[in-house]
Amino acid sequence: MKSNISALMDDELQDPEHAAPLRALHDDETALQAWREYHIVGDALRGTRVLSADFSARVAARLAEEPTVLAPRRVAKAVDRNRRWMTLSATASLAAVGMVGWLAFAPQRGAVPDSVPLAQTPQAVQTRPAEARPVPLPSGANDYLLAHQTYSPRSGLQGVAPYVRTVSERGRPR
Amino acid sequence: MKAAAFLLVLFAGVAQSHGQQPVDGARWLEKIYNATQKLSYSGTFVYRRGEHSETSRITRLVDASGDVEKLEALDGVPREVVRKGDEVRCYLPESMTVKVDRRTDRRSFPAMLPAQISSIGEHYTITKGETARIAGFECQAIVLTPKDALRYGYKLWADTRTGMLLKARIFDDKGNAVEEFTFTQLRVGGNIDRRRLEPTLRARGKEWHIENSAVFPVKLAESGWIVKPALPGFQKVIEVRRMLRESQQVGQVVYSDGLAAVSVFIESIKGRREPVQTGLSSMGGINIYTREVSNHVVTVVGEVPATSVQRVINSVEYRRPQ
Repeated sequence: MKSNISALMDDELQDPEHAAPLRALHDDETALQAWREYHIVGDALRGTRVLSADFSARVAARLAEEPTVLAPRRVAKAVDRNRRWMTLSATASLAAVGMVGWLAFAPQRGAVPDSVPLAQTPQAVQTRPAEARPVPLPSGANDYLLAHQTYSPRSGLQGVAPYVRTVSERGRPR
Repeated sequence: MKAAAFLLVLFAGVAQSHGQQPVDGARWLEKIYNATQKLSYSGTFVYRRGEHSETSRITRLVDASGDVEKLEALDGVPREVVRKGDEVRCYLPESMTVKVDRRTDRRSFPAMLPAQISSIGEHYTITKGETARIAGFECQAIVLTPKDALRYGYKLWADTRTGMLLKARIFDDKGNAVEEFTFTQLRVGGNIDRRRLEPTLRARGKEWHIENSAVFPVKLAESGWIVKPALPGFQKVIEVRRMLRESQQVGQVVYSDGLAAVSVFIESIKGRREPVQTGLSSMGGINIYTREVSNHVVTVVGEVPATSVQRVINSVEYRRPQ
């Protein structure tokens, strides 16, 4: 296992091979110790500046203090195909980021509550201002559209013609 | 005193000469607006957005007893919209519902004054395009090119004789059409029987369920809502509270630059039956962004590109009133 830990550090493992050493880091104290030692050795070889001994613990504690930004959302029972696809990809990206977060704080496992990495890191994923997440038209879109068109200057050019811009009441655009 | 009087005359002279030589494209724009106010007509037009296209019939009668307009969807599920003066009724037979709305503020109705056209000219370059024959009418094209990427562009084809708008194309910053309206058959004037403008959709033995919008003016800032859209050229048009569905009260603020409008809807999350899906959806030349803010759902509906709608929704804040 120690050679696997080393390979994991050096990014020498192919995808399915990650699982076993990662599990070991979680479960096995000796594997975790090996991880710590390899990092210290690596830092020493590279001349990396050494952080204070309890650095990771202090960072983890500070993170635990921060309020969770994400409020839990009620998940609809009936999920249509599009929404399921987006949920899967969002979950996959969250899992990937969560994994990285977990590894960064692995040496101080005792101080890190299990839920912290996954709860905190999605903040980085979700607040990208540049990209707008595409979603289906909101429920009751017709009502918003009709209320909006009352005040649109397009009626000065086209009369009531722009009111054709509606949605089928089942929520799908015509 | 003499100097001040002289300056006054000078400025007045400048203002007048400016008004006497309007931009040719702007004069056409005014002609189109006047036609929309004054002409009676009946015709069939096609509305296109992306792959979707549908045909509708539209009839308008302007006479001594007021103006009435009717839109009938000819494809897909039947729908009708009838406007009599300031009241608009949408007949939706799928749900046996009539949605009734009323324009409460005369000033918010987009009557086209020269001042408004000149403010359009601040954010769009108005030019004359080619001439074209559409549905048997000789038309002049007018192009309104936005001066920034915050709005769409417009190409309008108007009948040279009456100013009636035969075709309208809304395009994005790459020149791609996001929406298009084209008359395929049109008759201007002539005898239009007022009875043709009555709603034709039958109630099928059941009663129409009427939903009144119950609009009244309000200041949303008094409830703690701060909306600062930061869209140059967009002025606040109206701010109301209204009913959206049967029982859902919502605040609505509308901004406009003279050609396009953006509505910000704010409603309590309590009325929602389904969870809020945060993000952007599009429907041709209309973009809609939904977001949750402080136990409320904010929905921005705009006839502007997605980035502008996003900018508006990001500017909505709630601060609990003291």
